[in-house]
Amino acid sequence: MELTSGARVAVVGGGPSGSLSAYFLLDLARQTGITLQLDLFEPRDFTQTGPPGCNMCGGVISESLMQKMAAEGIVLPKELLLDAIDSYVLHTDSGAATIHPFHAEMRIASIFRGAGPLGAESQHPLPWSSFDQHLLEMARQSGANVLRRRVRHLDRTPEGHPRVFLHPAKGDSSDSTEPFGTYDLLIGCVGLNGSGVRMFEEMRFGYRPPRNDRAWVGELYMGAKEVHRRLGHAMHIFLLDIPGMKFAAMTPKGHYATFIILGHGVNEEVVKRVFQSPRVRSLFPEGWETPVRPCHCQPRINLGPPVNPFADRVVLVGDCATSRLYKDGIGAAYRMAKACAFTAITRGISAQAFREGYWPVCRQMDRDNALGHLLFSMDGIMRYFSPLRRAMITVIREEQSRPQDPRRLSSAMWDTFTGSAPYRQIFQQAFHPVILWRLFVAMLRALVPGQQTDAIVSTTIRE
Amino acid sequence: MLFDSEKPTIGIEYADGETILREGEIGDHLYVILEGRVEVVVDDGGERPFQLAILEKDGFFGEMSLFSDLPRVASVRALGPVRLMTLDKRGLLRWLADDPSLSLRIMLKMVERVRLLVSEVVHLRKLLRDNRLL
Repeated sequence: MELTSGARVAVVGGGPSGSLSAYFLLDLARQTGITLQLDLFEPRDFTQTGPPGCNMCGGVISESLMQKMAAEGIVLPKELLLDAIDSYVLHTDSGAATIHPFHAEMRIASIFRGAGPLGAESQHPLPWSSFDQHLLEMARQSGANVLRRRVRHLDRTPEGHPRVFLHPAKGDSSDSTEPFGTYDLLIGCVGLNGSGVRMFEEMRFGYRPPRNDRAWVGELYMGAKEVHRRLGHAMHIFLLDIPGMKFAAMTPKGHYATFIILGHGVNEEVVKRVFQSPRVRSLFPEGWETPVRPCHCQPRINLGPPVNPFADRVVLVGDCATSRLYKDGIGAAYRMAKACAFTAITRGISAQAFREGYWPVCRQMDRDNALGHLLFSMDGIMRYFSPLRRAMITVIREEQSRPQDPRRLSSAMWDTFTGSAPYRQIFQQAFHPVILWRLFVAMLRALVPGQQTDAIVSTTIRE
Repeated sequence: MLFDSEKPTIGIEYADGETILREGEIGDHLYVILEGRVEVVVDDGGERPFQLAILEKDGFFGEMSLFSDLPRVASVRALGPVRLMTLDKRGLLRWLADDPSLSLRIMLKMVERVRLLVSEVVHLRKLLRDNRLL
């Protein structure tokens, strides 16, 4: 079961996993002399602000993804970049510490997946471009036929070829039951937020979506000057004693700061408590009140793993299959899209081919996520034992003040929040005997009365 | 900032004429050009370094020394302001192990360079033969 010249491929979903799957598949096909006809279905218009063009994401491109894309020859145009992140500031209830990278190079970018938050359209023309639209254009330029149509139903012919049925186009009142097309390969890149997952479940090849939970993502308008003054070029991470919250992050993006809250069952009460936290409020401009309803969403995030995300002639890529826990979702989509394309071209499109070529990549990420779950569960221990949090801040500050020495804890934290390294590597760094000893000593010091770290640090990063 | 100061930039910037890497050094980074141009030059004993190539956006350099552990065979200088992304050896080797298809583009570029080299050698041999030096 192989892709040969003239084969038809359908990609359902035009987010990063869909666009990159199409791009890599067409690129590899060209290199191997195969001509494919590829239809990519994406109903959203990523040039629209707010929900119509949004793919519900924090919008940070990790250091490793920026480097891999550069090596691949994918250079992101400057108009996509809202900011370049040069450091991370870790905020806890008992203090804060800034972590700088080991190099002077800016490698982390903040972007808008769509055209930006609702209301941003008042700026004409928009001073930025959509990341997802850029990837979609890359796919189109590679030869993908991009159709702005919504898929209604999927099934397979008795011979096992996938069929795609569409909702009627705008203005078309006919109620056609005919399939739009019959394909040799169907790639599902439907994420976890829409009805796409259900369509693949209804194909009855044994697929079950991954475990998932809801996060909260909001775009807070402060104005570029205030964003720069309060946040600098740093991403701010909050590890606070708020039930239901794992961690929160605030990322500078031009006139906006993107606020993300991750946890279990993040609801309005959790969001309210986060925004009332003195540590968070200290980053807002004086007298600034959080808008009652900022442009926000509650996307589903993958807690993995899925069941059977492939069959003969069908494969799921991206969040609806596997992702990296709490970070670098775009990087995970990139890796899976490449693995999917490489498998389809070099091994074939049978379930066996995907099991041997594609599934190991997903499994590797899922196994790594298991270690990630373990690492994040430590947060619970830290939450109820504040001397450990204080010790962590102390050790990071000590490391940052001595750049010539190994910065093991800083490095582990940097990799945790940037998504630059697998959890396996972070685990090895974080549980190095030297780190454990230094944390123990710092914790003992923290338990001595009068040895507390500061309550609130200065929040003006750079004037 | 060497480019548009209003915009954030990714990567590392070099000014016109600045030497990015030097012939004879041991290298442990691959450089990808995000913006601008560079010239690859070698010291052939002449008055001025001999220009081997000009590389532009999407091009990369530094791979020979990175993979061979031998000193760099050429220097690279910025031709106008240039912005680069660096990839360190350990990271690159780890990614290549995770994703062998990443090596495809590097191999294709290296094949392209070998082809250019072969055509240069053929051209030089023809010149030598025409001038009865061979």
